[in-house]
Amino acid sequence: MPRNIVELYTEEDIALLERRVKRHRAALIVLAAAALIACIVLAALANARNAGKLELAAVLVSTVAGWICIYDGIFTVSAGKKEIGHANMLRSEPRERIDGPVTVTDERLRIRGSITVRRVEVASETGVKKALVHENRAKRLAELPASAVYMAHGYAAAVEVAE
Amino acid sequence: MRVLKNILSQLHSFILWALASILLWAWVFGLATDTSYGKKVMIFCHVPAIQDVELTMDLEEDLPEGIKMVQVHPFDYVMFDTVSITRADILIIPAIDVPEMGDEIVPLEGETGIQVYDPDTGEGVLLDYITYGDEAYYLYLGAGSAHLKDGIAAEIARKLLDM
Repeated sequence: MPRNIVELYTEEDIALLERRVKRHRAALIVLAAAALIACIVLAALANARNAGKLELAAVLVSTVAGWICIYDGIFTVSAGKKEIGHANMLRSEPRERIDGPVTVTDERLRIRGSITVRRVEVASETGVKKALVHENRAKRLAELPASAVYMAHGYAAAVEVAE
Repeated sequence: MRVLKNILSQLHSFILWALASILLWAWVFGLATDTSYGKKVMIFCHVPAIQDVELTMDLEEDLPEGIKMVQVHPFDYVMFDTVSITRADILIIPAIDVPEMGDEIVPLEGETGIQVYDPDTGEGVLLDYITYGDEAYYLYLGAGSAHLKDGIAAEIARKLLDM
């Protein structure tokens, strides 16, 4: 039966991730600059009568904008950069092939300061081998009818599926 | 659900940012609505309640030359800024505070301060702005005022008495 190797991260996937990170980073810079300018304008307009209300408005604007920047900065930009680094590592490092059906478990691990992964089990002839897969690729891996997995540094990098 | 989990995982960052935002804009608005002692007139009132914003705005309608702003503070403000009261230009204080203030106050004219509220008759000045307690209140100039020599403290004090 003809076999086909499916990469979990293709060049297009990485390019897409890079564009997404750039887009979000630019949006965050614009949001932060707009919030800062708005707050400075509010401070410049302050007088004895309106200072309390304008200060409250400035605090709200900067707090909400800051929260958006923190959230998106951590969970989109920073996480995206880590995922790009992870994907590049998977594509460049030497791989080990393990034959056997692949199962993605529900066990989720957060590697401190790095990516979140799911545990993968490969039922090989010599026993169950354990591997990891990036959380964002777990669903894709689970849906593939894989008969073998290519691992790099203990992470699933590609799988072999029937044509 | 995932968003909520993400938010909870970074809750400390969100809380810290909100606190930093409050402190930052309180400081900025403090700077934006303040000026040097020589360019402002500070009035401290040790009274149960005062409409400080309204009194400030009415006094600022006609300021002496060289004065940019008037600041009216209740005595509670002293808790946050102990320096300001020693530089106060005008003080409205209950009779019981007069011996305590000692050298920090000087009468506008004569030997004693001007009585601005009589608890027996309920008559007094600035009744539209100030709620007095059940005792006599007096107006004094601050001994540390930057406007004793140029007469501006006395000018504003007389304006208060005529309002």
